[in-house]
Amino acid sequence: MNIIQNICSELLSDKPYSASRNFIISGVFWLLIGTSLGLLAAALMTWPDIIVNVPQMSFGRVRPAHINVVAIGWLSMGYLGAYFYILPVLVGRKGVWNERLANLTCLVFNLLVFTGVLSILNGYTEAREYAELNGIFDYIVLVGLFLSGLIGFKTVLTGPEKKWYVSIWYILGSLFWFPIVYVIGNRAFVAFEGLNDAIAGWFYGHNILGMWFTVGGIGILYYLLPRFTGNPLYSHTLSMIGFWTIGMFYAPTGTHHILQSPVPEWLKAIAVISSVFLLVPVLTVLTNFFMTMKGKWSLAAEHIPLRFVIVASIGYLLTCMQGPFQATRAINWYIHFTNWVVGHAHMALLATFTFIVFAAIYYIIPKVTGRKIYSKKMAVWHFWLSLYGVAIMMIILTCAGLVQAAGWHFAIPVDQWSVEMYPYMFIRFLSGVMIVLGQLIFIFNIYKTVFSKEAEPAPNSPTGIAFV
Amino acid sequence: MKSNVNYLVAAVFVALIFFTIIYVTAILPATTFTPNKSDVAWEYSSSEKRGRDVYRREGCFYCHTQFVRYQDREMGEMVKAGDYVFETPHLLGTERTGPDLSNIGGKYPDAWHWAHHTNPRAVKPGSIMPSFSYLSNQDMTDLVAYLQTIGQKRVQPRWIVAPQEFRDKFHGVAEKTDVNASSFANAGRGIYMQNCAQCHGVTGKGNGSVSMTMQKKPANFTRPFYAGYDDATWYWRISEGVPGTRMPRWAKTLSDEDMAYLVAFLKTLPKPPSAKAGDISVTDYAALDQPEEMNQNFWEIEAQKHGSGESDPFTAYSEETKGAHE
Ligand code: HEC
Ligand code: HEC
Ligand code: HEM
Repeated sequence: MNIIQNICSELLSDKPYSASRNFIISGVFWLLIGTSLGLLAAALMTWPDIIVNVPQMSFGRVRPAHINVVAIGWLSMGYLGAYFYILPVLVGRKGVWNERLANLTCLVFNLLVFTGVLSILNGYTEAREYAELNGIFDYIVLVGLFLSGLIGFKTVLTGPEKKWYVSIWYILGSLFWFPIVYVIGNRAFVAFEGLNDAIAGWFYGHNILGMWFTVGGIGILYYLLPRFTGNPLYSHTLSMIGFWTIGMFYAPTGTHHILQSPVPEWLKAIAVISSVFLLVPVLTVLTNFFMTMKGKWSLAAEHIPLRFVIVASIGYLLTCMQGPFQATRAINWYIHFTNWVVGHAHMALLATFTFIVFAAIYYIIPKVTGRKIYSKKMAVWHFWLSLYGVAIMMIILTCAGLVQAAGWHFAIPVDQWSVEMYPYMFIRFLSGVMIVLGQLIFIFNIYKTVFSKEAEPAPNSPTGIAFV
Repeated sequence: MKSNVNYLVAAVFVALIFFTIIYVTAILPATTFTPNKSDVAWEYSSSEKRGRDVYRREGCFYCHTQFVRYQDREMGEMVKAGDYVFETPHLLGTERTGPDLSNIGGKYPDAWHWAHHTNPRAVKPGSIMPSFSYLSNQDMTDLVAYLQTIGQKRVQPRWIVAPQEFRDKFHGVAEKTDVNASSFANAGRGIYMQNCAQCHGVTGKGNGSVSMTMQKKPANFTRPFYAGYDDATWYWRISEGVPGTRMPRWAKTLSDEDMAYLVAFLKTLPKPPSAKAGDISVTDYAALDQPEEMNQNFWEIEAQKHGSGESDPFTAYSEETKGAHE
């Protein structure tokens, strides 16, 4: 009885920042599961016969499981963990509006990811990219998002500080937009016929990235950057311009994923134009980043979390230069349907937003647990393994994509050249091994920090340089 | 406080614009974009519908697209908006790890699909398509029924054929060289031994000494399947090589005349189909041996093993559809 009570009070505790901590720990756990599923998918693309006769381990099911675990289990939960620390701090209160409810939300999400991934592996799927969670799970996601939004808004609106720092705009923006996007994109709520289903589906597919991962990730970045460097944010005006233009230009871009299918031309035109206009918010973020970093680059030698932020910003630069480029018809004509796009996706979600959450975790965990990160060496290994892993993956997938594109455009049947993909797929597998290894080290490091009996207390370090 | 109010006014204003944009680009098309059904659109029977659900459940669309673009040569007719009126939820796909399936219906006999889904590498050596040998007989029947409806058996060439520009070019070459004459074939043999045998082997089996270093083995010209190549296609493949493999673009080093000699020689290599493989309807992965060589194929090995004098269903089938095409 006592144990159950203990667990309950731990899981549904109302200690300030316990929700942030629980979200982060769960996210890190799902990160390991998610990347391992990715590694399995990569192995299946390299050696298709290593597992036969096991439906749950078939590529067509492992791939969506991988995507949903990293997107919802890892990134979304990591984001919420960071939000539930950043929001209260920025409005000057201790803990979120209702810590118990936030912990309940964390349970909802964990339950969702656990049952969701099992359902996908067992073939219960909506079968639309990024929206694979089916039927009942769509409602659970919505409940989770509604609760998170409620907590986020209540925390800010009832906080003492009334002058909102830019991060609050971004974070609340993402919490407001994502449920709307989710409702439009999932057939449990909005179901169109035929090609209109593809239009709505890709509206969602793009805006889970644009209105959720990008907006939220930049909110976290704007919070971390001034703290890590000790410089004030270069320009608030720029960041606000960025915020409003993201809202304007992301929403209509979905159709650039189906640019060459027979959907209405005017939709495609809007999608391409607004994709190119996305350079506006991107450049505001990057200007802010580079100007705020001014004079502080040398910090990265010692400041591990800052390193992650730098990689993330450069990843953002590359992804978002590549994005408008490949959304134009002339380029899309060539590289669509190939692994080039998969490289782009990993650049965005892995090199950029995952790295932002890494930085946030290395900074927030000492803050919320009062403990110094267990091992700096491990954090450094985590950094380099993840960085090399994703860099190799990106380069090799881009090359593979160009080979594939040549194959399609010379009208050669794919079975004549698809074995030539083997070296690329093998190297991609190796890059996956590096990444998963990095995450193993990461999860061990976090586990030791949070759960070991005696731990070094977190030193007083405003920039967080002494946390790791 | 004051600045907050200003922001809020702006926020409401921008939110309005934002919702308008969402409405116009995600919801509005559903009311204005209602194409009429084309003759390819197909209302699925219950078995085909179940097959489509298997296709969705097994994630085939992560590797196979269902739309042909105008730059996709040799994939059959381009799709129109009206083809999709019964495609709910959509299965357009965004990545082609395998070929486009918009015109798969009628391309192969059912037995081929059964064998291919059970062990893709038995019929397509080197394929990275997963094996779906765990599907029940019911699932497999429905899935194949569904596949055979896609594209409504629009007539399409069985294998690759040379693009028109090469057909025209070859026409010019053929006026000077008779690719059916044995003297030219002999001349071609000489050029072949110098340039091609190290990869394609002296007997054309694709087992030349250099081939051991290659992931994608050189083509085995003795396969019955090559009997279906016409002269212009041979010419085109030699001239342009096979992108993504080690097969060079010979147009860069050889003259048109030399390549015509090679066509004459290569035409003498393929054996016409000689045996029947029998109908294969299995879901047992182990029952389908994988060929040892990358450039062989299950049906041909079966044909050699059983040698009954009839043509194998696969090739016979291709002859049929080819006839229909011409
Ligand atoms: C890992 C990606 C992958 C998945 C998943 C996949 N395929 Fe394939 N498929 C391929 C590749 C690669 C080829 C080309 C080589 C070959 O023919 O085996 C192919 C070829 C095919 C072909 C022959 C196409 C042609 O024009 O010759 C058919 C039919 C097919 N697949 C059906 C399916 C079905 C049905 C499913 C789902 C049950 C499926 N595939 C799942 C990769 C995949
Ligand atoms: C470096 C090794 C190499 C050399 C030399 C080479 N080939 Fe190839 N060839 C290949 C490979 C690899 C393929 C791809 C096999 C496939 O696509 O199935 C191929 C494919 C082909 C094909 C296309 C077969 C098809 O399926 O359409 C033809 C025709 C061909 N070669 C003819 C020649 C001729 C003629 C020469 C000499 C002038 C030659 N090759 C020299 C490696 C070579
Ligand atoms: C947190 C880290 C990661 C995130 C956020 C992430 C995200 C994604 C996304 C969005 C896609 C879909 C791409 C598309 O639309 O075509 C994808 C596909 C994939 N990912 Fe990841 N990924 C991560 C880590 C990994 C790792 C470590 C591996 C292991 C090598 C991996 C292997 C794959 C594979 C094999 C696919 C399928 C690609 C295909 O269909 O060809 N991912 N991932």
